[in-house]
Amino acid sequence: MQKLLPLAALLVFGLSGGMAQAVDEGTKQTFNFYCAQCHGTGGKGDGPNVTDDFPVNPRNFTKKDEMNKLTNADIKNVILKGGPVASKSPMMPPWGKTLSAEEIDSLVVYLRELCQCEGKQE
Amino acid sequence: MRIAVIVLIGTVLAMLTTASVRAAAGEQAFSANKCGECHVTQGPAQEKTIADQLAKKGPELWYAGSKFQQPWLEQWLQDPKPIRPLKYNSLSEENPGDHPKLAAGDAASITEYLMSLTSADVEVGVIKPKKNPKGRLIFVKKMPCSGCHQFPGKKFKGGRSAPSLHGAGKRLNPDWIYAYLKKTRVFKPIRMMPIFDGILRDKDMKSVAAYVASFK
Ligand code: HEC
Ligand code: HEC
Ligand code: HEC
Repeated sequence: MQKLLPLAALLVFGLSGGMAQAVDEGTKQTFNFYCAQCHGTGGKGDGPNVTDDFPVNPRNFTKKDEMNKLTNADIKNVILKGGPVASKSPMMPPWGKTLSAEEIDSLVVYLRELCQCEGKQE
Repeated sequence: MRIAVIVLIGTVLAMLTTASVRAAAGEQAFSANKCGECHVTQGPAQEKTIADQLAKKGPELWYAGSKFQQPWLEQWLQDPKPIRPLKYNSLSEENPGDHPKLAAGDAASITEYLMSLTSADVEVGVIKPKKNPKGRLIFVKKMPCSGCHQFPGKKFKGGRSAPSLHGAGKRLNPDWIYAYLKKTRVFKPIRMMPIFDGILRDKDMKSVAAYVASFK
């Protein structure tokens, strides 16, 4: 039994490593099409809409400390319903009628890839 | 009496034929000028994926007669000033402002042709342009419209990823603006703008359409 433990740990590690794997090209395309106009293609919050007079900076997804304050459910909810649901700016649009649940789930995984963080646990 | 009726019918027929003859000439001029290389004139919308939208070289024109106002269209074809701040389907390049220009004759006949391409999904006479506080509140405060669209704002001039809405009151048919918000998938099954039907109430879509239609 004791001999099996490291093996089990290895297995779990291997599996979760597999889950954190890079998202597919389709998800990146979805991000670049809908989100990059404000958040930028690298997710740094510097898309072409963000001119000097833009009222509020779109979230920089590569900032680990900021992104770690959000749970995956927080992210999903704000994508679905827009900024105001999280007391954030309405400049963050609601995408619930535009994107499917699967597309939104895969965007959450992609944002975690960009921040290289797990986020606050639920 | 009978003669008067015949004359009247004759005149109406003649007017109809000149309009349709001009439209047919316009269709020919449209293909002679190779406009079809970048613009689809055959509806309904075919795009199913993001790649389909990105493959397009110019905006679809199959509902041009419902979308545009005739005087604006005829004038713009002769002097095409940029509408989108950025190059079509690009987030990094500026609009090069190199749209083909037409001489007055071709512009008139092609306008006639494009105005004949209408969509039954645009209900006529629903929206009257009006600078209304409700529409303004939605556009600049409650919804992110200004985040992507340039508009005649006081401090914030608007985002750059979408067509500018300066002059929308001269360019766009108010009824089309409402139909575009309400029946998005008919006109643009794949677009960078969120679908607002189901998020905004019907009367809010009408208010914001009337507000946009008031932009000078
Ligand atoms: C019109 C511009 C715009 C677009 C397009 C946009 N966002 Fe945002 N987003 C913002 C702004 C602005 C904020 C910051 C709001 C604030 O801090 O008040 C934001 C914040 C966020 C946040 C952080 C919310 C929080 O609670 O801190 C997430 C997550 C997010 N956006 C995801 C997305 C995704 C995914 C897409 C594409 C489907 C997208 N956004 C498209 C403007 C935009
Ligand atoms: C090389 C590709 C190309 C060709 C050829 C071309 N167009 Fe365009 N057209 C575009 C692009 C790109 C835009 C968007 C321009 C802008 O936003 O400033 C556009 C915009 C338009 C618009 C306004 C549409 C809208 O939704 O804003 C009309 C009308 C139009 N073109 C008609 C024509 C006609 C008529 C011809 C033939 C004389 C023609 N175009 C030839 C690429 C093309
Ligand atoms: C995330 C960016 C974004 C937001 C937010 C947004 N739009 Fe748009 N809008 C676009 C883009 C991009 C297009 C052009 C779509 C295309 O033709 O591919 C567009 C097109 C339009 C058009 C047609 C313009 C034309 O000439 O074809 C109107 C009218 C319009 N939007 C109004 C609105 C209103 C009203 C709101 C708020 C309720 C809004 N938009 C919010 C990006 C946006």
